[in-house]
Amino acid sequence: MACHDCDALFRAPQLHEGDSIVCPHCAAKLSTHRPHGIRRAAAFSLSAASFFVVANIFPFIELKAGGQISRIVLAESVSALNQHGSPGLAAAVAIFILGAPSLMIVGMLYLMLPLQFGRRLPGAIGVCRAVFGTDTWNMIEVFLLGVLVSLLKLGDIATVTLGISFWAFACLIVCLIAAVASIDKHELWNQLEEARG
Amino acid sequence: MSTEAPPGDFHPRTAAARGLASCHSCGKVQPVTQQRCGRCDAKLHLRKPDSLQRTWALTVAAAILYIPANVYPVMRADRLGGAEENTILSGVVLFWEHKAYPIAIVVFTASVLIPILKLLAIVTLCLAARRCRRPRAMTRIYRMTELVGRWSMVDVFVVAILVAVVQLGSLMSIQPGPAALAFAGVVITTMLAAMSFDPRLLWDAAQDAPQHHE
Ligand SMILES: [Zn+2]
Ligand SMILES: [Zn+2]
Repeated sequence: MACHDCDALFRAPQLHEGDSIVCPHCAAKLSTHRPHGIRRAAAFSLSAASFFVVANIFPFIELKAGGQISRIVLAESVSALNQHGSPGLAAAVAIFILGAPSLMIVGMLYLMLPLQFGRRLPGAIGVCRAVFGTDTWNMIEVFLLGVLVSLLKLGDIATVTLGISFWAFACLIVCLIAAVASIDKHELWNQLEEARG
Repeated sequence: MSTEAPPGDFHPRTAAARGLASCHSCGKVQPVTQQRCGRCDAKLHLRKPDSLQRTWALTVAAAILYIPANVYPVMRADRLGGAEENTILSGVVLFWEHKAYPIAIVVFTASVLIPILKLLAIVTLCLAARRCRRPRAMTRIYRMTELVGRWSMVDVFVVAILVAVVQLGSLMSIQPGPAALAFAGVVITTMLAAMSFDPRLLWDAAQDAPQHHE
């Protein structure tokens, strides 16, 4: 294998569980052996999928001020931008908090569920490339920080209540991070290559 | 792939020196003459194509967008008493004046410090890719740059949430300002710039330059 940071070429060693391959030249961590990674990733992706659904159905934030109540679901943080004259921004936010995470969840399920049994579905290679390509643009954890900052901004002017959807969203973040963390890119590609179509 | 680089050897053969390319999508090492990855069908390159030109172009674009992102308001609050406009910096100042110091520091770091440091870091990397004495330190900067960039998007999300939730009729409503889109543009272009930079160029430059022990 070759290091993605410095291009040093070396032979991949045999690993025990939890062992990592570290580039001998630049010390980049290239791979960690996780024999149960696929099963774990499948489980976390399934939970992430259910939390994603819940996060999109129920109210996200409720705001009370001067006898008025304003309640939104998650997707309204996108549609409101569009209504108030910023469609470009709406599109960007939609990709970062709805499009990218849903693509990742669906893609992971499509890869991991069959791969536990050594199988791969048609187009799995393309899906795998898409999942890793989308990873950078999935910004749900940054959005959560945004929610917290907004709460502090609103603290003075209104009473804010967090809805069920907010907590589901927080769980979604944990599950998706855990799902991505339990797979090793290097091993996943090797397993995909060996899997029966 | 026939020899193994012993750990601690500071002059290993690079894959490129043997005409081998590691696929930038799946990492498989194969002869670059194959043109496409045998495993995932991505195009094979020894190095990311036009890496420096692309990174420079995106960095300049980000620097230009950075001006409207800070000059114009990110949002406008319409209250009974009149309208109030907020820029990115005035949002931080507001938190500071309300004695909400931790959150002021978080927002200042994400919205002001990280974008500026990131632009400087990318420029440093681009310069280092021509002549590099300290590839190890530079690679560390590259990894940091890739990692932290996304967090700058937090202000954009704050605008999205406030615009959605603060619609209280005549009492108060919040509208997005032009700087929000510009700022999202800054974050996206700097992320793309970091992605198009190829850290292997640093090590190539270091091997060409006279060796210097760190
Ligand atoms: Zn390396
Ligand atoms: Zn490939």
